[in-house]
Amino acid sequence: MMSRRQGLLLISPLLLVLAGFFLVPVLMLLPTSVSVYEPGTGLVKGAWTLANYTQIVTDDYYREVVWRTLGLGFSVTLICLLLGYPLAYLIARGPERWRVPLILLVIFPMLLNLVVRSFGWIALLANRGLINNLLMQLGLTAAPVKLLFNFIGLFIGLTHIYLPFMVLMLVAAIRNVPRDVESAAATLGSSRAHVFMAVTLPLSAPGILAGSILVFVLTISALVTPRMLGGPTYQVMATLIYDEYMQLLDWPSGSALSFALTFMAVAIIWLSSRLTKRWAGMA
Amino acid sequence: MSAAAEDRPGWGLTATAFAVVAFLQLPVIVVVLAAFSTTSYLTIPPQGLTLAWFGKVLSDPTYLSAIRMSLILACGSTVISLGLGVAAAYALFRKVLPGSEAITSFLMAPLVMPAVVVGVALLQFYSMSGLRGSLIGLLLAHVVITVPYVVRSALANLSGLDLAVEEAARVLGASGFEAFRLVTLPLIAPGLVAGALFSFITSLDNVPVTIFLISASQTTLPVLIFSSVEMGIDPSVAAVSTLLILATGIVLLIAERRFGFHRFV
Repeated sequence: MMSRRQGLLLISPLLLVLAGFFLVPVLMLLPTSVSVYEPGTGLVKGAWTLANYTQIVTDDYYREVVWRTLGLGFSVTLICLLLGYPLAYLIARGPERWRVPLILLVIFPMLLNLVVRSFGWIALLANRGLINNLLMQLGLTAAPVKLLFNFIGLFIGLTHIYLPFMVLMLVAAIRNVPRDVESAAATLGSSRAHVFMAVTLPLSAPGILAGSILVFVLTISALVTPRMLGGPTYQVMATLIYDEYMQLLDWPSGSALSFALTFMAVAIIWLSSRLTKRWAGMA
Repeated sequence: MSAAAEDRPGWGLTATAFAVVAFLQLPVIVVVLAAFSTTSYLTIPPQGLTLAWFGKVLSDPTYLSAIRMSLILACGSTVISLGLGVAAAYALFRKVLPGSEAITSFLMAPLVMPAVVVGVALLQFYSMSGLRGSLIGLLLAHVVITVPYVVRSALANLSGLDLAVEEAARVLGASGFEAFRLVTLPLIAPGLVAGALFSFITSLDNVPVTIFLISASQTTLPVLIFSSVEMGIDPSVAAVSTLLILATGIVLLIAERRFGFHRFV
């Protein structure tokens, strides 16, 4: 039998790496986030402030960025659910021979480089991109419609990137719904739509919740797609952190924003796990 | 309701689902088309057909060194993650440690933390410790973001394992390590492929952590594409992207043929 000492020996290399290159660096952001920043000179030694945190809720610009990030999180999650459910349902309950090809077509874009996919959306959504060319050739609009560097662009790009995660979560959830229960409802005279609304949908709720949390957390944390499709002007929290660090060199503001973003992600995960437990308790 | 009727979903559902699948492939198709255009700016549909942009990419030292750097990081971090991750998962599986649940959560924590936060935390840490721009610093940063996939995959595969086979090996005279290497490891190896592949792709794909840590002279492919898009686009970006699309497609098909990859996601 394996001894506790052998177990510790096996696990300690990874624990040490994660402690040294994840836990400690993240904790070291804490003192930075309460430091005073002097433009041009850097951190002021020995001075502490909470202003980096308070400005996130009091400053109009920061507040707008936070609301925009949350708004994108909610709308991308909702549309992923609406678009993902029919596809997941077809994969889980549709013809057997479609299953593997459909799953592979969902996984393929998911595995594909994020930068490449965002780049593809630039080619589609730009003023002289495919969609605007098509709209103008069809005579639907005279001038190009602005689809980049605004909410629409980010919304489309982020939906594309996180939809596969939602679909895979939903497929697993729908497959967990016992077919017997569905058949039983149908035998008792329920219409197909009613079976779906009364049986399949509620029983797949845990998967809907898990998929929604995943997509929401990923969306509010995204950096690459918002930066590429939003440009330097249409900012979300992650791109603002990037700019605070790389352009403005204002590390205190950047680290305060980092903690705010982490807090939002963790709070959502915590809230939803409470929700799931209460749910399980009622059933 | 008969099984046959269940297998024939309504046309409305089928049409919606196929439209969503098409939406998922749309940017991929566009990038591939753009790579063959003869114009020096990006046009869709392409004007004329040329392979010139592929030639330009494959002879450009900046692209080549970025590709090399990406592969070094992805291979290195996957190997390290596999070593550290499988060892840790095995210790957790044998349940000899107190607080296994807390440890497992800690090993998964990098997945919950927004990548950009990991990036800035390591930027500050490396600036203080002089690791910024070093290969070992980058490798360990990539291990932090890839190792949860390996641990999760290893734990999932170990949980389906019957400990009796290892005990049998021990009874027949194998040492603990021999039993693991000759019996357990071969049994879970096929399942680890998914974890390793996810780890490799996560590293290869990563921008939000890497961009804070690389030096200007030595960059990775996605970071190079990311910054060149900010400066303006020419079809060589589409060409290098097409090469990535091709590589991803081939790897996915091989993984599916050999291991039935879709079962692991």
